[in-house]
Amino acid sequence: MSAPRPAVGLLLYARSRAVPGTLTALAGTAVLALGAAARTGSGADPGRLLPVVALAPLLAAAVTGAGLRSATEELDRTAVRPWWPRRLGLLLGPTALAAVLLPLAVLGDGPAVLRNLLGCTGLVAASAVLVGARLSWLPAGGWVGAVCLASDGVHGRAVALWGWPAQPGDVPASWVAAGGAFALGTALYAVRGARPEGPRG
Amino acid sequence: MSRPMSRPMNSGDREVSTIRVSGLRVRHRRTVALDAVDLDLGVGVHGLLGPNGAGKTSLIRMLATVARPDAGRVEILGEDVGEPARRGAVRARLGYLPQEFGHYPGFTVREFVAYVAWLKEMPVAGTAAAVERAVERVGLGDRIDAKLRTLSGGMVRRVGIAQAVVNDPDVLLLDEPTAGLDPEQRVELRALLRELGSTSTVIVSTHLVEDVAAACTEVTLLDEGRVAYRGTPESLGALGEAPGVGDSVIERGYTAALRAHRTGLEATR
Repeated sequence: MSAPRPAVGLLLYARSRAVPGTLTALAGTAVLALGAAARTGSGADPGRLLPVVALAPLLAAAVTGAGLRSATEELDRTAVRPWWPRRLGLLLGPTALAAVLLPLAVLGDGPAVLRNLLGCTGLVAASAVLVGARLSWLPAGGWVGAVCLASDGVHGRAVALWGWPAQPGDVPASWVAAGGAFALGTALYAVRGARPEGPRG
Repeated sequence: MSRPMSRPMNSGDREVSTIRVSGLRVRHRRTVALDAVDLDLGVGVHGLLGPNGAGKTSLIRMLATVARPDAGRVEILGEDVGEPARRGAVRARLGYLPQEFGHYPGFTVREFVAYVAWLKEMPVAGTAAAVERAVERVGLGDRIDAKLRTLSGGMVRRVGIAQAVVNDPDVLLLDEPTAGLDPEQRVELRALLRELGSTSTVIVSTHLVEDVAAACTEVTLLDEGRVAYRGTPESLGALGEAPGVGDSVIERGYTAALRAHRTGLEATR
């Protein structure tokens, strides 16, 4: 090994959390969404894009969430510096990439895709803190699935809040709900980190 | 037992405690892991003995600052680690081998030890040399660029010891370092412990009393979250001169000290 550079530690951190794999998987998700949107979207009826608009951000958030796992939880706790900046980077870096790629892939409904990405990422981050990174996709998956099945045809103002994954991209209340989930999940993860899943479970 | 009687050490080192623990109390759900533990430890190799569930791992985790006690005070290198602002400075001078340390199978030995050096905020300029020295010290110099997934269990354990000593810690905490090592490796580890213990405070938790006899300058025996005995391997051995349970003098001393502690507790109940 040649003389170490300051970035060596950060690179090791990124590799330890499988960041290269996460970024590749996100790019793959975008390609998948692009293909799916091209086949389902007719342009005349944006509602037909709903499966892509709901599932692509969910998949992206799940990929990001799986990368929040640490195999050396016990050693990581002895770190000299506080963890929150590195945790924020680990969560927001992949999310930023997805936020650029996915709306481009689903041009028909870009704003809704972005909103759903934020909401799902928030749910996944909060789940990583509460149930661990490995199953962090599950609560978000359940929520998005339930909403897509149940919110169709529901009337009232509350549905724009709880049913945010299935709302059109221009409903303010759905942005408030998804943005709130994102802020809350991000803050929770930055402060607490993913729940340990090692032998100390 | 051939052990150097005078260790290379500045006069007065013994009086200076690097670790002061007072009134330490730790609960895990309903069970009490540590109860009113007071300890003062200085430079040297301290063996931590005790039955399963005695609180050895809990004590080491408190000292490693990875878990917080329910009550009591832990002072390491003169700093109260209960204060978050002070913890960082202590951690930079701490080495810790957890019982299960987890690792990244895709990392090489060099990369894994460098990762821990990065966690400890070691100066970048010296890291590469420190990593090589640490790996050399545990006898893995020829495997330094091997991936962790290709190593045997004993080798991974030695990687764990290498990461713990990479920053030349003033306080070194090893939880079961000899688990999974073959006899030859254990002999080498004991030599390393003696070497490290001449300048640092080394705390070794173990089930193997012969490790304590061979490598430690002091012994602390825990039982059910309390300090049952403190002394030297020699004084523990002296307890075993009388006939009792155990195959060696120090094993008999261990069981005798435990029994004395338990009957003492019975008497006060």
